[in-house]
Amino acid sequence: MVKTKMQKSFAIGLTAVMALSLAACGNSNNNSNEGAATNAPKSTDSGNTATATTDSGKKVTLTFQNIYPDPATPAYKMIHELTDQYMKEHPNVKIELDTLNTDQQKVKLKTQAASKEVPDITIVNPAAQMKPFVDAGLFAPLNDMLDQNGLKDTYQKGLLDYYSFNNNVYALPDGNNIEVVYYNKELFDQAGIKNTPTTFEEMLQDVKILKDKGITPMAIGEKDSWTGSFLFMNILLRTNGGPGFLQDVLDGKKTFEDPAFIEAVDAFQQLVQAGAFPDGATSIDANAGGNIFKTGKAAMWSIGSWETGAIDASSVAGKVGAFQFPTVNGKGDPNEFMLAPGSAFAVSANSEHLQETKDFLNFFASEYPKKQFELKNAVGIGQKVDGDLKAAGYSDLAVNIAGLFNQVKGGDLAFDNTMNPATAQVHLSSIQNLFVQKVDSAAVAKEHQTAFEANKE
Amino acid sequence: MQKLKKGIVYLLFAIPVVTQLYPLLWLVLYSLKTNEEIMDGSFFSFPKSFQWHNYSEAYTSGSYLKYLSNSVFVTATTMVCVIVLASMVAYAISRFRWKYGNIVMTIFLMGMMIPMQATLLPLMIIFKHIHVLNTHWSLILPYIAFSTPIAVFILSGFMRDIPHEIEESAFIDGASVYRIFRSIILPVSIPPVMTVCILTFINIWNEYILAATFISSEKLKTLPFGVYTFVSQYSVNYGDIGAFLVMGALPVILIYFFLSNRITKGMVAGAVKG
Amino acid sequence: MKVLKVPARTIAVFVLPCLLLYVCLVFVPILVSVYTGLLKWDGLTASTFIGLGNFKDMFFNDPVFWPSVRRTLLYAVASMIEIPLCLFMAILLNRYLRRGNTLVSIYFTPVILSVVIIGQLWKTVYNPTSMGGMLNGVLVSLGLDSWTHNWLTEPKIAMFALYFVSLWQYFGYHLLIQYTGVQNIPDELYEAAKIDGADGFKADRYITLPLIVPIFKISIVLAFIGSLQAFDLVMVMTGGGPAHATDVISTHMYNSSFGSFKYGYGSAIATFLVVVCLVFTGFINTIFNRIERKFN
Repeated sequence: MVKTKMQKSFAIGLTAVMALSLAACGNSNNNSNEGAATNAPKSTDSGNTATATTDSGKKVTLTFQNIYPDPATPAYKMIHELTDQYMKEHPNVKIELDTLNTDQQKVKLKTQAASKEVPDITIVNPAAQMKPFVDAGLFAPLNDMLDQNGLKDTYQKGLLDYYSFNNNVYALPDGNNIEVVYYNKELFDQAGIKNTPTTFEEMLQDVKILKDKGITPMAIGEKDSWTGSFLFMNILLRTNGGPGFLQDVLDGKKTFEDPAFIEAVDAFQQLVQAGAFPDGATSIDANAGGNIFKTGKAAMWSIGSWETGAIDASSVAGKVGAFQFPTVNGKGDPNEFMLAPGSAFAVSANSEHLQETKDFLNFFASEYPKKQFELKNAVGIGQKVDGDLKAAGYSDLAVNIAGLFNQVKGGDLAFDNTMNPATAQVHLSSIQNLFVQKVDSAAVAKEHQTAFEANKE
Repeated sequence: MQKLKKGIVYLLFAIPVVTQLYPLLWLVLYSLKTNEEIMDGSFFSFPKSFQWHNYSEAYTSGSYLKYLSNSVFVTATTMVCVIVLASMVAYAISRFRWKYGNIVMTIFLMGMMIPMQATLLPLMIIFKHIHVLNTHWSLILPYIAFSTPIAVFILSGFMRDIPHEIEESAFIDGASVYRIFRSIILPVSIPPVMTVCILTFINIWNEYILAATFISSEKLKTLPFGVYTFVSQYSVNYGDIGAFLVMGALPVILIYFFLSNRITKGMVAGAVKG
Repeated sequence: MKVLKVPARTIAVFVLPCLLLYVCLVFVPILVSVYTGLLKWDGLTASTFIGLGNFKDMFFNDPVFWPSVRRTLLYAVASMIEIPLCLFMAILLNRYLRRGNTLVSIYFTPVILSVVIIGQLWKTVYNPTSMGGMLNGVLVSLGLDSWTHNWLTEPKIAMFALYFVSLWQYFGYHLLIQYTGVQNIPDELYEAAKIDGADGFKADRYITLPLIVPIFKISIVLAFIGSLQAFDLVMVMTGGGPAHATDVISTHMYNSSFGSFKYGYGSAIATFLVVVCLVFTGFINTIFNRIERKFN
């Protein structure tokens, strides 16, 4: 008797738990359709009520997920100073910074997104990388907020397109960068290299000279495999004779087995075989890889121009110049660059305080360029800044980079910003593999093509 | 001959002392070096002069105290709950005569096989619905849940071997089961409880994936999260990182060396009889 | 022998709080995972039910899956290999030292350190010669230049470098378990054996070994489960690279879910992992039960 009673209550307990969790996961699946459909009306709705409550000074707390954890960097100072200022001016708004490093943030946002629990403001990468989130209806369109005080016009022409889907802008970029090759002038002098390379052959030559002098030719942190991919894509941009290779693949006009792609793989392998990269590159993470250059242990570093500020703050400050990636086998135009529209601030469509969040982000994005300029971090910020770099005391390197920006004729986005995540993962590890063994370039091409076809929507 | 044998054996004992303790020394040296000394990568070298300022920098820029107190709170609460809950279950499994004891035991044992990373998303969904996200409970609850299997396993192994006589006489004297549990069983079980403490402590104290995912407020974040963020951020000062690592490891090392002589006893006590 | 006959309500009071919490937070999530393993789901947009499709892909179309299973099992085997060594050390400690506890505690130290620290440390050990790696440095100074390697980046070697770190870290863990087991064997047994003329290792053969079997089993099971779930160390040291050369089941699961946005597929891998754990633990149990019966 007692036993059956217990059995029963146990069973009830268990079923309850199961029901709860199944309901929970059922919910999360349904929402995805629902979310997109209800977005628009919902946002205006809560917008109205929110505005009303702002007036009455209701206390709101906004969560701002960000990837600026290092107190030594200008970006850290920027976000703290701006949020503090805003909270001072709006005593009813409290902004909580959820500061993570890049990897943590990716996993966290992914998990949050899957349970429809996106923070008020978060950080996403442009184009293909943010598309799944937009498709899931997780982000609020920011058009109204962009238009309300001319914020939209502060952005470089065309930049917001990388963050727009169906004519709605869903995120505001923290920068707009290009890939350049930084080089250490002192080490170049030591090796007796007079001019920066303008062709890939010269680059290989320089790599060999540096290597013979016992200097690591190029820094890289290939444990984070996007670094190698970024460099590889620059070569592809040249061998393809111009931008658009991946787009052509997506449009079905080309395949990865195209000669341009194979040529790029070959060229990349030449670089590896020439010993351009540090030993054990695939176990070095991106920061540590950068530090090889920033501590004067490597002569070149092919990376995004976002590193300019950090290089100027490092021990090689003043010794560094930058040049455009050279032509490969006589192909390509050095004035075409790998383009890196920055990570961007997006607002959760389900934010409880949508209007307050948008108001804050509007303030943040409007003040952002000024603040960055002040903090000497304005190279590649993607918004128009008033002020002259040179006069404001920026380094020669910064001025040099800013000059390169003016030469940009066009270019390509990184692989993972163009292709879907599953294909991108295969690509990343395929390129990583080139660092540790020689592979038949046709096989690399085939691997890419297979992955692309398997993961086509 | 006997002496030589003894010598070899002692040498055999000594080697692991060096290999197992050197990391700590290495870490301390690392934290006192300049960037240049660290980048040279020489493994055995002493710093030319001790860079104590690495510690003050790590201390001020890493919110050490806040993270530490959060970690202490989360860990302490978890440990108390694990000990209470797991010893109750262990007692029921090992001493009560009931049909489902073995099934319950098996269910708990299966939990040891489940990788925490696989439960990240389902937990997130559950926590969202019971509104504990971004509170310390979102860490304490799963930490308890994931610590109980091994705790139940160790405790029930021990309790099975406690002589029945004490319990029976108390029972005849009219003591309730709860009382027997509280004033007889628990006190006797101190050794395995210590073991459970240290194992739970080690696991939770170093956990950072759940901590990074479920906690968003700066004021609630825990130390391993802080250590992990501090280590992997775009910082160029390795000495600071080393200093932060030392400070992160310090509490666990202190506690361990306080308890270590007690835990060896409880580790598998009782399990001898399978 | 279980003596206490108590009302069901009492049992419930003792068992339910813990059991419910545990079932809700460990068991239910894994059931949810099993279910999501049957979906084609990117974790964001709507999912479609595809039955065993993920498993089919996993078994037949995923070039990374089987190698990662192989590495995981090798990991498990590798971590079991050190247990007999630990037992041997435990017996020696028990015989030669009156108070071996302190020494055992020292051996245990690496277990308490966070993987972040362990990873940093061993990276400096394994670093290439040009970055002052210790291991290569030692080899060069011994004149064994040809033995130097890029330990973490040569695909054929990297995994073994990781196994070794695990062996090193958990040496003290298994030694502690074995040592406690050896200590728990009553001295009278040895004294009796001595009278019968069995001394030293002979006594170990007839007394220690049979009595230590259950403890040995605990170590084996813990080592096995631990290595199947090995995750942090691989993540910190190589991230599964270069080109998946050090991917194990758990990192493959993680990368599929969070890198490739194949959440359903990642869940299918998790299901596989749990099943393997269950099957092998059952297997180990059966074997040991047989051994124990033989000794009795």
